Amino acid sequence: MKQFWTVLSFELKSFLKNKVFVGMTLAMVLILAAVMFYPRISEALSRGEDEGAAPAGALMLVKNESGMAGVTEAFSAAFSGYEVRETREAEEVIRGQITSGEAECAFVITAPNAFTYYIGNLSMYDMNTEMARGVMQELYRLDAMVRAGISPQTAGEIASVQIESKTESLGKDQTQNYWYTYIMIFALYMVIMFYGQMVATGVAAEKSSRAMEMLVTSAKPLSMMLGKIVASCLAGFVQLAAIFGSAVLFYSVNKEYWGGGSIISSIFGMPPALLAYMLIFFLLGFMLYACMYGAAGSLASKPEDVSVLVMPITMLFVIGFVIVMPNMISGNVDNVLMRVCSFIPFTSSMAMFTRIAMSTVPWYEVAISVALLAAGTGLVGMLAAKIYRMGVLLYGTPPKLGALLKALRKA
Amino acid sequence: MVLELRSIEKSFGEKRVLEGVSFRAEGGKAFGLLGRNGAGKTTSIRILMDVFPADGGEVLCDGAPIDYARVQLGYLPEERGMYPKKLIIDQLTYFAELKGMPRREAVRAVDKWLERLGMSEYRNKRLDTLSKGNQQKIQLVTALAHEPQIVILDEPFSGLDPVNAMLLKDIVREQISQGKIVLFSSHQMNYIEEFCDSIAILKDGRVVLDGDLHDIKRKYRRDRLAVHTEERERLLRDMAGRAEPMADGGVLLRLDAAEDKRAVMQRLTESYDIDGIQVFEPSLSDIFVEHAGDAGETEEQK
Repeated sequence: MKQFWTVLSFELKSFLKNKVFVGMTLAMVLILAAVMFYPRISEALSRGEDEGAAPAGALMLVKNESGMAGVTEAFSAAFSGYEVRETREAEEVIRGQITSGEAECAFVITAPNAFTYYIGNLSMYDMNTEMARGVMQELYRLDAMVRAGISPQTAGEIASVQIESKTESLGKDQTQNYWYTYIMIFALYMVIMFYGQMVATGVAAEKSSRAMEMLVTSAKPLSMMLGKIVASCLAGFVQLAAIFGSAVLFYSVNKEYWGGGSIISSIFGMPPALLAYMLIFFLLGFMLYACMYGAAGSLASKPEDVSVLVMPITMLFVIGFVIVMPNMISGNVDNVLMRVCSFIPFTSSMAMFTRIAMSTVPWYEVAISVALLAAGTGLVGMLAAKIYRMGVLLYGTPPKLGALLKALRKA
Repeated sequence: MVLELRSIEKSFGEKRVLEGVSFRAEGGKAFGLLGRNGAGKTTSIRILMDVFPADGGEVLCDGAPIDYARVQLGYLPEERGMYPKKLIIDQLTYFAELKGMPRREAVRAVDKWLERLGMSEYRNKRLDTLSKGNQQKIQLVTALAHEPQIVILDEPFSGLDPVNAMLLKDIVREQISQGKIVLFSSHQMNYIEEFCDSIAILKDGRVVLDGDLHDIKRKYRRDRLAVHTEERERLLRDMAGRAEPMADGGVLLRLDAAEDKRAVMQRLTESYDIDGIQVFEPSLSDIFVEHAGDAGETEEQK
């Protein structure tokens, strides 16, 4: 046990002294600071701009050939960002005005139910056609109702009626929890991938530098493996805590500049219980994969061998990610595939967490999933320790799977 | 303290690596474990160090199964290597701590050894900034800092210049005089001969010769004389057929029987201008080649 703590503190110290690790964490914190302070800074900057001349809205020309009344007025009201001006010029002249840049765009209303939109460069996000169609539809209905004998006032009331609505979510609100689930799954994915690979390359590096010769005669393999794994888990956790902690801190400083209802405020409105679940699934999922990565690393003689040896493990993990991500994005987190995946230890850390975050999962399902994950992690850990004990003394070509299984049965 | 390996068996898969290996090493003496590459030396050492268990047999310390919690072992592996990118003080302290030393004590012990080896100036340097010989001296600290009762040195002299070899010899002598068991594994026979009181020669996983080196040498039939004389050529001519020149300028004379020794010696001193005569004893190299070489098997059966 003392050896475990010695290994743990040595490995953790090497993480915290590692310039790449510290640099990466600091860079992430700085980026987050920049993002969180952005609204405050941009507001301060735009306040400076406001004091100058207010920029005039771009010119929109409207030519009405339909015979309907109030077209220009309706367009003026709908396109408040533009300076809407009625025109009677010929179409060629209007085209000229747009290409010369005198006007931004033009609507030529050819009939009560038809119009042409002229614009220089059509932007991908140009919604003017949609808006104009709405305006025209309303005008057309009003016109039709008036012609059918309804008074203009009643017609206006009918056309502009507002339907009031209210949504009350009794379970989880996916519009609110989608983003933080997304971020957490992504963090889980990155940390397991990154630190898992670090464990594998770390073990292989000890073997190739022959420091392993010293280690195997000084410490028990289990202490060595667990010390290394727990140290990288803690390092990952420290990094996550630094990043998320600074994000929360920077957000609370700039809260009033972000306003309510945005994605950002939904992220920071995450319920604390979810954080606890995150911790459980993060710890167990990390241990599960890190044990496998550690065992794979122990079979490599050189750091170059590692990438091939960890491939099956990475694949397994990526498959889990690929299953969870689309279901999370579609919001359909309780389908059969997700349910199955949320009980398989290799995928449950992501799948079950997503379901808990975005849907309502009965408590016993969560308990079973966590129990299975814990049992799976224990089993895999024991197997990994066996492979590790054997692997650290093996040099040369990594053994084939068959030979490995045979040796394991004997061990 | 007496360390004993008794009938150790070990197989890796189908391959039998050790077949009933037994030997005995005593405190205050150096023991030489010899054998060609692949003879089973490293496997024996790993079993002795509890890296993996033996399939059969036992490791005894003072007659009882060795208790690794009480008996400390220090090891300098043949394959040298530590953490190239880490500070020397950090990793040396780490290894001493793994051996059970409290941190502060470990730092103190490491500093003491660095000073003893003249390496204190490198304390806060990275290992890969040192020359190979100096890296080896650093690694020696890992074998000694925690004051083990049993010190295992695998090819300790390889790669050391004569000055450093002398320093290491002094340290080894010091360890022996402190009553520790020093177990050497080496192919450099002169060092083994210089230090070791007893040896074991391994061949194909079996001990083919073991015991007190002096006794082993005396067991050889004492029917050869090493003669040193100014009249070397005349002696070789007179004794043609039973005399042969030796590399050191002497003449090796084979007798019909060991009992003739006295008479022959007397005759030689009367007939020749003799500088010295002694009963010829084989060197450790000769003994090793005889037992561990390819011809060893047949020699053994004679």
